[in-house]
Amino acid sequence: MAKRVPRVGVGGPVGSGKTMLIEQVVPVLFSMGYRAGIISNDVVSKEDADRMRRNLATEKGMLAEDLVVGLATGGCPHTAVREDPSMNIAEVEEMESRHPELDLIIIESGGDNITTTFSPALADYFIYIVDVAGGDKYPRKRGLGIETCDLLVINKIDLAPHVGADLKVMERDAKAVRGNRPFAFVNCRTGEGVDKVARHIVRDVLFELPPKARAG
Amino acid sequence: MSTEFLSMLQLADSFFPAGTYTMSNGLEALSKRKKVKADELQVLVRTHLERQVGPADCCTLGAAYESAKAGDIEGIIRADQALYAAKLVEEVRNASARSGANLVRCVAAFSNDALLAEYAKAVNEKRATGMHPVALGVACAALGIPKHEAGAMFLYSFCVGMAGAALRLGVIDHVAAQKMLHELGPAITAAVKENVDKPLDLMWQFAPAIDITQMEHEQLDSKMFIT
Repeated sequence: MAKRVPRVGVGGPVGSGKTMLIEQVVPVLFSMGYRAGIISNDVVSKEDADRMRRNLATEKGMLAEDLVVGLATGGCPHTAVREDPSMNIAEVEEMESRHPELDLIIIESGGDNITTTFSPALADYFIYIVDVAGGDKYPRKRGLGIETCDLLVINKIDLAPHVGADLKVMERDAKAVRGNRPFAFVNCRTGEGVDKVARHIVRDVLFELPPKARAG
Repeated sequence: MSTEFLSMLQLADSFFPAGTYTMSNGLEALSKRKKVKADELQVLVRTHLERQVGPADCCTLGAAYESAKAGDIEGIIRADQALYAAKLVEEVRNASARSGANLVRCVAAFSNDALLAEYAKAVNEKRATGMHPVALGVACAALGIPKHEAGAMFLYSFCVGMAGAALRLGVIDHVAAQKMLHELGPAITAAVKENVDKPLDLMWQFAPAIDITQMEHEQLDSKMFIT
């Protein structure tokens, strides 16, 4: 039986930059030869999926248009990725059967609160993203997402001085809460720090395997 | 108390992961078009029971259940394909197939029933679609749940789904939702009695206003539910 395509879950509060992170990291992975599909759980619209499709598929041609799928979740974003991920799993499996050439599938959760986590049946690797504009207290406040994710991403670092957030405090607290597990500072608007996120994915999800297209 | 009774509670529980919480069955589109009042909601759900999920889904569930009891996989697949063909609205058709496929795979993980496994295999190999009522009928037969109870579980869960969607859409509150579920009891039992023993070729549905609303949902730009 063929190995299943690795799945990366991206969760985080509303407006923290989940869609932007995916829009930034997919081109970095693409430049390394890796092909990704995207399933976007939007709470009330298809806007995120439509934007990613337009940006990454239609304009940049980095993936086929049917590789960006939007999914409505009845207003229950955390249920859709944890308690009952069945509709997401169905989408993932359909995408996988249509596109066995994929190196990974990224599943974006709908914007939710800090208790978001992904079912291990849905995602093999879980990225949780917060932004500095929520205050530098975020890592310290903990919450399942921040505590248990495989990679914590802290976005919008350019805003720190404007919102009175201290990145040093966030770094210290992230280390205190997460021990040795990684975190990354990024600015998804400029792409700063996104290569670090891509490197984590290549190392910890893809185990440094070459892209399928190159491996033949 | 029997383990079959507990299996019934398990499959009818909204905790059971079949993805039905993502469906409003057209209610989202209707509530965008007009303000739906609590009493209108109940009329709408009754119409579903009497003209759509009762005569179509519940009848098919009964036929699939009988086929499962007879060990007739071809009969199950025939019921599956008939209901798939009868569902006019693509969103609704696909949602039913997905949630049923989820259901049958999940039950296959804890039941050793050979026929259920065969149906799950047919769904995986795309020889069957996994329509929800068929999947539930086969699962109930496998777990020893009586047919009329299986029909009641399906229709009650449908009503819970409608109530849950209405609650999230702001149509009713939590107490009104429970009141509605209680008041729908006689309509649910009547729909089961009328439909679950019928042969597959007497399956029907006729609710054009509901079909149109469900089609309208397909065209919405902003939506919270998949149907």
